[in-house]
Amino acid sequence: MKREEIFERLNNVFRDVFDDESITVSEKTTSADIEDWDSLEHINLIVAVEQEFGIKFNMGEVTTMKNVGEMVNIIESRVK
Amino acid sequence: MILTTFNFLFFAVITILIYFIIPKKLQWLFLLVSSFYFLFYKSFSILNLIYVMIILITSWGAGLIIDKFKNKKIVKYVLIISVLIILGELVFLKDSNLFITTINHLCNLMGINKQFDLVYRNAPIGISYYSLIMIGYIIDVYRGVCKPQKNILKCALFMSYFPILTSGPFIRYNDMEDKLFGKHKFNYDNFCYGLTRVCWGLFKILVISQRLAIFVNTVYADYYTYNGFYIIIAAMFFVLQLYTNFSGSIDVIMGVSKIMGIDLPENFTSPFYSRTITELWRNWHITLGAWLKDYIFYPLMKSDFIQNLGKFFKKIFGKKVSKKITLYLPMLIMWILIGIWHGGAYTFIISSGILQFIFIFLEDTLAPLAKKINKKLNINTETFGYKFYQCVRTYLLFSFSMIFFRANTVGEAIGIIKNMFAWNPWILLDHTSLYTLGLDMLDFKVLMISLVVLFVVGRMQMKFDVIKKVFEQNIVFRWIVLYLLIFSIIIFGMYGPGYDAATFIYRQF
Repeated sequence: MKREEIFERLNNVFRDVFDDESITVSEKTTSADIEDWDSLEHINLIVAVEQEFGIKFNMGEVTTMKNVGEMVNIIESRVK
Repeated sequence: MILTTFNFLFFAVITILIYFIIPKKLQWLFLLVSSFYFLFYKSFSILNLIYVMIILITSWGAGLIIDKFKNKKIVKYVLIISVLIILGELVFLKDSNLFITTINHLCNLMGINKQFDLVYRNAPIGISYYSLIMIGYIIDVYRGVCKPQKNILKCALFMSYFPILTSGPFIRYNDMEDKLFGKHKFNYDNFCYGLTRVCWGLFKILVISQRLAIFVNTVYADYYTYNGFYIIIAAMFFVLQLYTNFSGSIDVIMGVSKIMGIDLPENFTSPFYSRTITELWRNWHITLGAWLKDYIFYPLMKSDFIQNLGKFFKKIFGKKVSKKITLYLPMLIMWILIGIWHGGAYTFIISSGILQFIFIFLEDTLAPLAKKINKKLNINTETFGYKFYQCVRTYLLFSFSMIFFRANTVGEAIGIIKNMFAWNPWILLDHTSLYTLGLDMLDFKVLMISLVVLFVVGRMQMKFDVIKKVFEQNIVFRWIVLYLLIFSIIIFGMYGPGYDAATFIYRQF
């Protein structure tokens, strides 16, 4: 799967989870950029991303990923 | 060793001096020696040594085994057993009385005529901190977040690094590895920063916290005499006492560590400017919150059980409700655990656990209603007045919950709350009543000025690092600030009998 395609699908997941159609994520997007992306919503997002791509993040990845770029790296390595 | 005593000052100065004199490659080893001295300085016993060794050997061994047998089933068992050993020891040492009082209550309820005596175990200091720190370390190795430390002595230093033994913060291995075992040269900027931070911490503890303690202790010791507004003020003072005591200790700890070139994670920002209880907890005991989030809350939320529960409720109630259930169930468990961690008593479980959960739950559930009302009444929620109202509300709610934290038993807390409703507002105005509780008019003036300084610095701290900013100014300004701090500690610090009586609230954990 191409990186652009991952971003596109990820965008839809973000919009769905945070109920905000104006969200567009990029490599550098972090939780600070999206108002509702706090520690309480983080797992909802993670689970939604897992379902979208049919993958599983391990807890180490869940707690250490710093931005959307890192999330895409993990997705990319799993869906190959 | 209490941080405000001459003993600690002496210990810190000697440690820092030797740390920079000895060859750099021995620095970490020396830190280990001084940390173990700190650990056992007052409470050495064979039993305590065994308690410490159990945690050290379990976590060090588990780290190595988990790393060696990666991806094999055995790893999971090693993880579970090692975490249970450490947790078991912590619960045994700290929470035995929680079980005993529960059993006694149950016996009473069922009419069984048997009561068990409470036990008082002399646990090694800091155990509540390094037990969780080492559990975090084992889990991090398991998750592949960090590499295990092969050298048991280095592992021992990570566990017992003396600044964190009295009141945290919770550290992570990944964060600390280079700092603890690296070679550090003396750095004048670090020294100035650290020294100012130590003084700022001592100012918070000795000038503010100890002063507040005198008032609070008097009221709580005799809440039938000092009822109504005395209790309201004491409850509000207690939260400030707790904050200045705990965050002041953290300032001292971080300052000492900074001088040695070892940065520790921040544990407090400015909690009193929080508009909600949710926000307050993001600024209060930050490293504990982060620990619980990574090692309990996230795994729980992501667990198959909670996820399946979510799916089940989604079918019945729809997406919104199921989302709330999968959020609030793990959150309730987490808050109860925070309460238990604070001490093996129901007062802690209620104050720093269940009440906080209820506040956060209500805030979240009532938020849409509040939004509607504000819209209908055309209230602008971004004005200074509205924000101020929210901060005061948060502060009052938090003060109320902490009545349980300060009281010795739940019954006492309820008694205090009942007595709070006595009507005596005139004590605020008659210019004498408030001055009969151990603090005279001068003390109150010092207190009020200090609190203004605390709040102003707190406000500035939200925008930039105040101490760093001070050191960007010219040398005259820098030293004036430092001398002002030192002199106010010497002149206004509480060293009287009240001082001896007031112990460090967070040291018992």
